[in-house]
Amino acid sequence: MNAVAHKLCMLGDFGVGKTSLVARFVHSTFSEKYLTTVGVKVDSKEVALPGRAPMKLVVWDIAGRSQLDSLNMTYLRGASALLLVADGTRERSLHAALNLLMQSRTLLPDATIALAVNKLDLVEQWEVAPAALAELRRSLPVHETSARSGAGVEAAFADIATRLAQ
Amino acid sequence: MTSPSFPSVPSRVSTYLCELFWQRVRALLLTFDAGWRLRDIRGDAIYYGVDGSNPGQSVQMLRDLFIGLSIDEPQDLPFVELPNGTSAHLHLIPDRDAFHVLLLDAAAERDRQRATQQLGNEQALASQAKSKAIGQLKQIRTELERQHAKLEEAHALKNALIATLSHEFRTPLTSIFGYLQLADRRAHGDASLHEALHAVRRNATYLFTLAENLLEYGRSDGAAPLLNPTPVDLDALAADLDAMFRPLAEEKGLDFRVSLTIDDVEQPVFDEIRLRQILVNLLSNAVRYTRHGEIAAEIVWRGGELSAVVSDTGIGIAAAHRDTVFMPFNRGGHAGRKGAGLGLSIVRRMVDQMRGTLAFESEVGRGSAFRVTLPCGRERAAAHADDAIAPRFWLQGRSILVADDDTDIAHLLEALLGDLGFRVRVVGDAQSAVVEAIAGRPDVLLIDVELSGLSGNAAVYKLRSRGYKGRIVTLSATATSEAREAALRAGADHYLTKPLNVEQFVHVMQQAASAGWNGGGDGSVGA
Ligand SMILES: Nc1nc2c(ncn2[C@@H]2O[C@H](COP(=O)(O)OP(=O)(O)OP(=O)(O)O)[C@@H](O)[C@H]2O)c(=O)[nH]1
Ligand SMILES: [Mg+2]
Repeated sequence: MNAVAHKLCMLGDFGVGKTSLVARFVHSTFSEKYLTTVGVKVDSKEVALPGRAPMKLVVWDIAGRSQLDSLNMTYLRGASALLLVADGTRERSLHAALNLLMQSRTLLPDATIALAVNKLDLVEQWEVAPAALAELRRSLPVHETSARSGAGVEAAFADIATRLAQ
Repeated sequence: MTSPSFPSVPSRVSTYLCELFWQRVRALLLTFDAGWRLRDIRGDAIYYGVDGSNPGQSVQMLRDLFIGLSIDEPQDLPFVELPNGTSAHLHLIPDRDAFHVLLLDAAAERDRQRATQQLGNEQALASQAKSKAIGQLKQIRTELERQHAKLEEAHALKNALIATLSHEFRTPLTSIFGYLQLADRRAHGDASLHEALHAVRRNATYLFTLAENLLEYGRSDGAAPLLNPTPVDLDALAADLDAMFRPLAEEKGLDFRVSLTIDDVEQPVFDEIRLRQILVNLLSNAVRYTRHGEIAAEIVWRGGELSAVVSDTGIGIAAAHRDTVFMPFNRGGHAGRKGAGLGLSIVRRMVDQMRGTLAFESEVGRGSAFRVTLPCGRERAAAHADDAIAPRFWLQGRSILVADDDTDIAHLLEALLGDLGFRVRVVGDAQSAVVEAIAGRPDVLLIDVELSGLSGNAAVYKLRSRGYKGRIVTLSATATSEAREAALRAGADHYLTKPLNVEQFVHVMQQAASAGWNGGGDGSVGA
């Protein structure tokens, strides 16, 4: 039997680590080198959910933008989940992620959403204050992640998968 | 919809153009029936990594790309990176009860776009990093300037200290030498030898007191010194003061008087060293700033309270300096004379420590009178004994979660904290610390920064970003201010460095435990 497939889009400013998070999640790899994504790269992974049939997450790693352009909109169509990504060392990228969230809401009003604040391994250099995330948590699930160390990555995707399954 | 038509060209040309275009875009056409069963495949399958003889995986990949999209409408997905690294523009073209998926090569265009985008992104990141670095440099510069100013101040203070030291030591030393000379002259078994040697000892005591002053001044405000109340022989104290200052006063041609009134039968209990320091400092100021007239000390022990008034007919203190006379190294205190030094600031501090009062009246050119009242130290002595056990008493039953992956250190901390009265729980990694802290709400979380895996700072950050309100103390082997700031920014309340300074450790633990969860908020935490 084929696992149910869901389309999950990674959205966030450039360089925040979308590609790296997908690489960590799908292939358990990480590269220090930055190679910007053009267009979209699609990967998929089956996620085992306790007490449920496995689910296939089809992950769309979309080129980073701080604003939704028409190309991004094209990619978003048909998505049932959004993983917004920000880089903890760049406060601006958090604003970008929230901005993208607002803009994509009209297009995907029912999408399952989570925010990953990435580069937790660099927490000493973070500009995003813990209180800011505490505040955000009131309105959406937030995960601190590190694509580099792997911390929180599995949990972020599992959170989305679990909520998609409900 | 009208289909676009080629301009009328000879059919040979149109065929040629068609072939050329087909080659250039490296088109691959896959035709499916409505159930995604592959009917036909035409074009450069290998280039796109599609195995023509076994296309199952590729079909699944293509299917995934159109999840959530209708196959009854044309779809257009530009720049899709394929598993083999090429890039394609994907088109879905419905065709009655079937549909086609057309792949057109986008690799060259993608590479060109990537080169520009990469450059742009890297420049943007670099300029953000640059402005951040500039900001940090500015901060460092301000910090350096601040430290520089502080150093200069400290330097000035040090110089003033030394000046004062030498100044203050000169007088008693002169006296010591004087008496020693006397002792020399009458060395042959005379009774006055005895007295002379007494004088030497008294002055040595005076020097000792001064040294104490300096020590007292150098002591940090944080560590409140312990009082040591003992029964005081006021007669002996008065006699000592008389013997110490009369020669100095008489040398300057001043009248000198020490009076003592004892109304209470009960013996006074005070920290004697401090009491002496207070009186010696007041009298030595009086002698220094008085050129003619008299100096008097009136000591009264009455109603469980000791009062002492030291008055002089000296130069006095201008009203403008009333507020600053008790500050260290204040110069203007005594009508602009140099060398006012530490005396009055020490007096102020000691009187405060002994919970007494200090007041003065003064008129420029007529003199000053300082009044000190000190409550008997007996209750203080008792209260003080309580103080010593109090911390342990109120730490009793407080809970603490220790996160350290070095078992030796964890054991040491466990023992130390147990001695302080804490209920201790130990975990070996940062993630467990996050989970346990949220579940167990300990009064204090003590966490090592340099944990393997998730770092202590990351754990603290995660807790704070979940609204965790408990006290957090981080422990680190790095003693730099950057490391400290990073830890505090992540949300720690205190930052301790290894090797542990036990006194400081205890102090911080007491502080943290007493603050507890009173930091505000309802303390509820979401996982
Ligand atoms: N230290 C650290 N670096 C990371 C982490 N995640 C990504 N990076 C680095 O950040 C840079 C950008 O990562 P990418 O994953 O390419 O970022 P992206 O969001 O896909 O960027 P675009 O494709 O341009 O939108 C790379 O140099 C990565 O190595 C992380 O968790 N920790
Ligand atoms: Mg990318």
